[in-house]
Amino acid sequence: MLRRLRSSVILLAAATLLLGQGATPLENPRVRRLGDQLVCLCGCGSSVTQCNMLHCEFSEPARQKLLTMVNAGMTDSEILAAFVKEYGQRILMKPPAEGFNLLGWLMPFIALAAGLALVWWLIRRFRAPLAVAGPAPDAALLARIEKETDELDS
Amino acid sequence: MENLGALAVLLAFCLAVFAMAASIVGGWRRNSFLVESGRRAVYSIWLLLTVASGVLVTGLLTGDFRFAYVAANSNRAMPMLYKFAAWWGGQEGSLLLWSWLLACYAAVVMFTNRRKHRGIMPWVTAALMAPQCFFLILNAFVASPFRMLAVGRGITSVADGRGLNPLLQYPAMAIHPPMLYLGYVGFAAPFAFAMGSLITRQPGDDWIHTTRRWTLVTWLFQTSGIVLGAGWAYAVLGWGGYWNWDPVENASFLPWVTATAFLHSVMMQEKKGMMKVWNMVLVSATFFLCIFGTFLTRSGIVSSVHAFAQSSIGWWFLGFLAIMIAGAVWLILSRLDYLKSEARLESVVSRESSFMFNNLILLAAAFAILWGTLFPVISEAVTGDKITVGPPFFNRINIPIGLFLLFLTGVGPLFAWRRTSLESLRRNFQWPLAGGVALVGGLVAAGMRHPYALVSFGLCLFVAWTILVEFSKGARAIHLKTGQNLARAAVELTQRNTRRYGGYIVHLGIVLMFVGFTGSAFNQNTTVEAKVGDSLSLGHYQMRVSEIRDAENDNYTWYTAKLEVSRDGQALGAMTPERRMYKASRQGTSEVAIRRRPNEDLYLNFAGMSDDNQRAVIQAFVFPLVSWIWIGFWVVAAGTLICLVPNKVRFQYARMPAVRVTGKYAATAQK
Repeated sequence: MLRRLRSSVILLAAATLLLGQGATPLENPRVRRLGDQLVCLCGCGSSVTQCNMLHCEFSEPARQKLLTMVNAGMTDSEILAAFVKEYGQRILMKPPAEGFNLLGWLMPFIALAAGLALVWWLIRRFRAPLAVAGPAPDAALLARIEKETDELDS
Repeated sequence: MENLGALAVLLAFCLAVFAMAASIVGGWRRNSFLVESGRRAVYSIWLLLTVASGVLVTGLLTGDFRFAYVAANSNRAMPMLYKFAAWWGGQEGSLLLWSWLLACYAAVVMFTNRRKHRGIMPWVTAALMAPQCFFLILNAFVASPFRMLAVGRGITSVADGRGLNPLLQYPAMAIHPPMLYLGYVGFAAPFAFAMGSLITRQPGDDWIHTTRRWTLVTWLFQTSGIVLGAGWAYAVLGWGGYWNWDPVENASFLPWVTATAFLHSVMMQEKKGMMKVWNMVLVSATFFLCIFGTFLTRSGIVSSVHAFAQSSIGWWFLGFLAIMIAGAVWLILSRLDYLKSEARLESVVSRESSFMFNNLILLAAAFAILWGTLFPVISEAVTGDKITVGPPFFNRINIPIGLFLLFLTGVGPLFAWRRTSLESLRRNFQWPLAGGVALVGGLVAAGMRHPYALVSFGLCLFVAWTILVEFSKGARAIHLKTGQNLARAAVELTQRNTRRYGGYIVHLGIVLMFVGFTGSAFNQNTTVEAKVGDSLSLGHYQMRVSEIRDAENDNYTWYTAKLEVSRDGQALGAMTPERRMYKASRQGTSEVAIRRRPNEDLYLNFAGMSDDNQRAVIQAFVFPLVSWIWIGFWVVAAGTLICLVPNKVRFQYARMPAVRVTGKYAATAQK
């Protein structure tokens, strides 16, 4: 409770401070960096930092909000958490690697491993000598061939 | 006029159904009359679709705003070029372009093979006509470009149209979609030949030899289309990115990846008779991914900046894809015996296994991209939460994959077929490897710490070195034998085996592109609000705003800022980024100012005016090495064209009088 009160006081103070300034939030490197981790939801598909629409109804207020939060001294994770709380997971450029989304991260590697196993199996299979048709020669036959070839040599 | 267009499409659809049915029945019953009539129907389809496209283009050029399509995608103020480009600016028109291109390709296939491949041609016709029927259904019944604006029963028109999306009013963008489509649609031909050879259980690899040039040409179209798109994004979107892993970008990249895998793995079949099943799978997968790409773009299933036109035609695409995939899978499975491998692998360290790894890595990349593109849809279906899979995901997975592929580009071609001895490995690789390692050491000593960039630069030098050694080895041999100078000998070498050395040149182009990609690790940028007289600096550059102006024409209003640029105190002249506001669509675009140099680009974007309308918001970027992406592309294109040229030696033998080849054999040698 006390913490929430404190952060709202900080936010309010920062907002008042900012009223006098018309600075472009993008001038702040931290805003640019954080904005690159957030998706612009105006439909442009780029990040909040990179959205280039004139008077974009999403990215411009979002950058302003980022600047306010940065100036209020919030940490990166607090800022991102605040955005997720407001807009849901889809605001993040990449899904957090947890729950079902973990599958999203792991699947390409699982596929690669499966592919490697497949190639390994194929190489082994391709390396096996071509199957010889007919029954395998028995020991007696081999001995006879040996004997006859010996006779040829002598 | 409009009735002529609609009628032509409708007739073309009927003929496509006829051509498919006649070819199937004719091929099955060996009825050459039916086969021939199916073949001729293909020419008629081309003629009809040319008429239909002509009607639409005439409507666009003359500004016939009774057409709903013209009203939605064109306006009076647009320059002629973009009025023409509006043909593919919207959904209905671009689907008509698909149909027309497919009809063109089909007609060319029919004409060039009119006296060849009699056994499989009916099935090739049928396989080409299946997608033709599908797209004509869309053209005629689902997304007709010939719908008219009407009030009640009377046709009406609007005074002026909405105009082409202003982001598309850019020269590279005007030709990017047809290039990509030429690449997408072109894969129908190799696919059709593959299916034809499967259906008829044709012995040998005829279909691969027949379609090799097709595959290469369409691959080049795909590459050009993708790079044009990247160049467009770089120059137009205003933040200097050329690749954003947007769903539609991914859709265009996926068939390219599998097509690249196919181009490599067919060599295994040609040389060794191996991987026949795999090649069937790859050629089918590439074609299906081409259709899938059109589906992603046109259905808007994954929301995206490129899905300019969205509608409910997604189900049609899914249905068609499901039928085609089921057919291809059944054909492959039922003919596994005929696709048996003819050779065995002798060693893990061999050209054969390097091809397998190349295919594995390319396919893994394709899967990762497909998975990342579709995962938001899957995740939403399972958990109910919407998520975003953005560039960080794709970069994290694809950068290591890309680097490994680069490594294979260097080592693969130097592995011998069958097996490679340790001695030859040492001989081929010791100096390039030492060079690469030395470069990495030098860069670390110079203060570079980015791990991927270090690995990438090291690999680029390694691969480029191995390629140049291959050229110089061959050229020196020819030089010793013929006395030609080394440069002439290198040209002679390339002419003697265009496929091999053209391929090396393509690899060299890819290396140059990787140099360009790697430069992005060192991008710099800054954003400032500046009024006339204010200065900003970035890296080595200083810029001073000397003028801010605004004006307008019929099509748009614009703001420009003039900046005097200097580098380390030395004046470089003025750059003038511009911001446009298109009147018809009320949409803004950036006309960035770029100073392109081989070492780095200085890129200025006019992002807008400040809230008080007094100062310009200027974004400045420095993009190191980015030009090498475009240079690399030209090298890739040149290499691909060289691959298409027949080897010189064959001609020489045929012409040499000493050999005394007589009539019949001389004719076959000339082929």
